[in-house]
Amino acid sequence: MNDTVEKRKEQEKENQEKFAVQIVYNGVTKPLDVERNQHVTVVLQRAITLFGITQNPHLLSLFREDGSLIPETDTVERAGLKPGQLLLLRPNAVKGGVLKLAANIVPSTFQVFEDCGRGECECAVFWTGPAGDEIVDGLKHPVHERSPYGYHVDSNWLTDFWKELAASECSVKVQVHTHPGKAFHSATDDRWPIIAQDGFLSIVIPDFAAGPPTLSRAWVGRLQANGNWQQLESAQEAVMIP
Amino acid sequence: MTALDGLTRTILLSRDYVSDDLTDDEICLNLQSVRVLCVSDLQNLLSYSGQTALVTLVSLLGRMGMQVGLCIPEVEMVGPQPPLTMGPLRAMLLTLSENVIAGAFVRRNLGFQPDIVFVLGDTKFDSQQLFWRLSGEDWAGSLKMGETRTESHAWRSTWTAGSMISAALAANEAFKFAMRRLELRDPKSQIFFETSRTSSFDFGKIAWSEGAIDLGRIDVISAGAISQSALYALLRFPVVRMSGRIFDDDITAPSNLNRNMLTLADDIGSTKVQLIADACAPRFQLQPIKARFPDAGSGEPASHVVIGVDDIPSRWAVQRRSSGWLAVGGTSHFSISSSDHSSTKPCCGCLHPVDDVAGDIVPTISFVSFWAGLAMAVRLLRKCIGQEYGRDRQHLWLTPLRLDQPHAAMWLPVAPTPNCPVRCRASLAQLCRS
Repeated sequence: MNDTVEKRKEQEKENQEKFAVQIVYNGVTKPLDVERNQHVTVVLQRAITLFGITQNPHLLSLFREDGSLIPETDTVERAGLKPGQLLLLRPNAVKGGVLKLAANIVPSTFQVFEDCGRGECECAVFWTGPAGDEIVDGLKHPVHERSPYGYHVDSNWLTDFWKELAASECSVKVQVHTHPGKAFHSATDDRWPIIAQDGFLSIVIPDFAAGPPTLSRAWVGRLQANGNWQQLESAQEAVMIP
Repeated sequence: MTALDGLTRTILLSRDYVSDDLTDDEICLNLQSVRVLCVSDLQNLLSYSGQTALVTLVSLLGRMGMQVGLCIPEVEMVGPQPPLTMGPLRAMLLTLSENVIAGAFVRRNLGFQPDIVFVLGDTKFDSQQLFWRLSGEDWAGSLKMGETRTESHAWRSTWTAGSMISAALAANEAFKFAMRRLELRDPKSQIFFETSRTSSFDFGKIAWSEGAIDLGRIDVISAGAISQSALYALLRFPVVRMSGRIFDDDITAPSNLNRNMLTLADDIGSTKVQLIADACAPRFQLQPIKARFPDAGSGEPASHVVIGVDDIPSRWAVQRRSSGWLAVGGTSHFSISSSDHSSTKPCCGCLHPVDDVAGDIVPTISFVSFWAGLAMAVRLLRKCIGQEYGRDRQHLWLTPLRLDQPHAAMWLPVAPTPNCPVRCRASLAQLCRS
C-alpha cells in the first residue's frame, strides 16, 4: 500500500519535473520533452536533433510567442517555460557573428587596464573563448612593454600563449587595448593585429580606460577579408554583453 | 547563360536537404523535368485578380526552371502585368518561355504531359491527375487539392493580394513535388516536402474603397529580389501611385533570375535600379540611385522606407537615420521575416540584433523571396491606408513549405532587446528595466 503511494508520489513528482513543449521549425510543429532543471542549451540541441537540422544549427535559437529570445544560459524553469508552450526555432537574426561575453569580461578588462596602465600607459588584453564557439569566457593580460604611446607584447610570452591556446582548444576572439585620448585605430593597430583573420575584432578604449567600465565610448572594428578594418557603429554590433 | 547559372541559388537551397551524393546538374535537371499545366476557362481570366494569379504562378514556376503548359483561352490583359508588356495574355505569357531561366519553356498544352496541374477558380476540370485549385479573395488566398468546382468560385476579387498568395502556394507545391523525387540526406526531412492538400494564408481584411491612392514618397533600399517582389505586388494595385527613390549599386546577374520578379533574361548586365525604375514607370516615379544607402548624397530617408536588403548593418544604418516608418523583409532559407518599425515600436535592430559576417552566397528560391516582398507590400499599403498592423502583428515569420500546418505562419510582436545595436527608444527602456 505504502509502496503504491510512494510510487504515485514519485510519478507525480517526475511528471512535474518533466513536460512537453511544442517546437515549430520550417512550419512543422513537433513535441519535445523537457525537464525543469535542464539548460535551454540542451533543449535547443535536442530541438535541432528532433528536426535533423544540419545546416548552420549554431545560428538557431528558441523564441517565445511574444517574440522574445529564450536565453541559453537559463534553465527551463528560470526561462519560465510551461507545459505545451509553443516555441519557435529560428535563426537568431538572419545569420550569426556576435560574440557572447561572460558577465565579468568587461569589468575585469577595465580592472587590468587600471592596475597595469595606471592612467598613464597603454595596455592590452586578449579576450579568449572556445575555438569554434562565439563565446568569450577568458581574458589574457600579456607580458608587454608599455609607454603612454604604445605597447609591445613579449614574443616569448606570445609563443607560450599560442601553445596554451592549442592545448585548451581556445582561440583569441578580440584584442582590446587603451589609448591616451580618443579611441581610434592607429596605422600600427591596423597593421599588426594579433590575429590577421577575416572577422577578427579589435576594441580600443579611450583615456587609458579611466572612465566607467563600458564599451560605449570604445572604437570597435572588424577586420575584413581585404585586410581593411571596418569601424562598427557600436560595440553591440559585435558583442553581446550580458 | 545556362540553366545552372540561373538556378545556382535554388540548387544551393535544395542542398539544405538533398543527399550530398547528388550533383548540381542532377538537381538542376530534376527541377527542369517538372511539367506543370495551368488551366483556366474564360470566366476566371476575365478578372484582373484571375490574370494576376496566373501570371504570378507562371513566373514563379519558370524561375524554378520548370516546364509550364498553358491550357487557357486567349484574352486581353485587363491591367498591367509587368514585366510583361500589355497585350493578349496567353501570347504575353508565352514570351516568358526561356526568358527567365534557360530551358524553362512556357508552351500551349498541345501534347503536354503534365506531372501536376493547377486550375484557376471554378474552371471545369476532371482528371485523375494530381491537381489543385487556386482560389481566394482580396487579401486571402488558398490552394485546395482535387476540390470539385462547385466548392470554388470564379476569380472576381477587386484586389490582387489573394491571387498572389494562391500563386505562391501553388509554386511551393510544385517545388515540393520536385524535392520528393530526390534522395534526401535525412529521411526525417521528408515531412517538410509532403503534399499539402489544403493550404491558405490571409493578410487580414482592409477596409479600402476603390479610390486612387498616392503612397507619397517612398525610399526603397535594395533593388534585389524582395524589393522587386514588393514592387511587383504593388504594381498589381492599379489605383496605387507613388514616388521616391530606389538605392542599389548592383548589376543584374544570371543568378538573380531565379527570384527577381521584374527581371527577364535580356536584363542581365543592366543596372538594377534603372531596370526597376523603368519597369515601374509611369505610375511609380522612382529615382534610380546607383549606390548603397546611405551614401554621401542620400540625405534624410523618406518618411516611409521599405528595406529588402540582406545586409543587417545596412538595415541598422537606415533605422538609425530614420524618424519615420520602416518595413523590412528578409529570407532565411525556406522562411521569411517581415516586420515594420516606427518610433513607438521596437526597431529592426531589436528584431535582428546580430550581424551577418559570413558573406556566403545566400540560398534562395522564387516563391520564398516572393512571399517576403508580398508581405512587405501589404504592410506598406496598410500603413498608407491608415490600417497599420498592431504590435501583435509587428513581425511575421512564415515558412511556406507547409502552410497546411497550424504554426507555419506566426504573427509575433517584436520584443525590445537590451542588446539592440541601434539603441532605439524601446531597447533603452528595456535596458533601464533590466
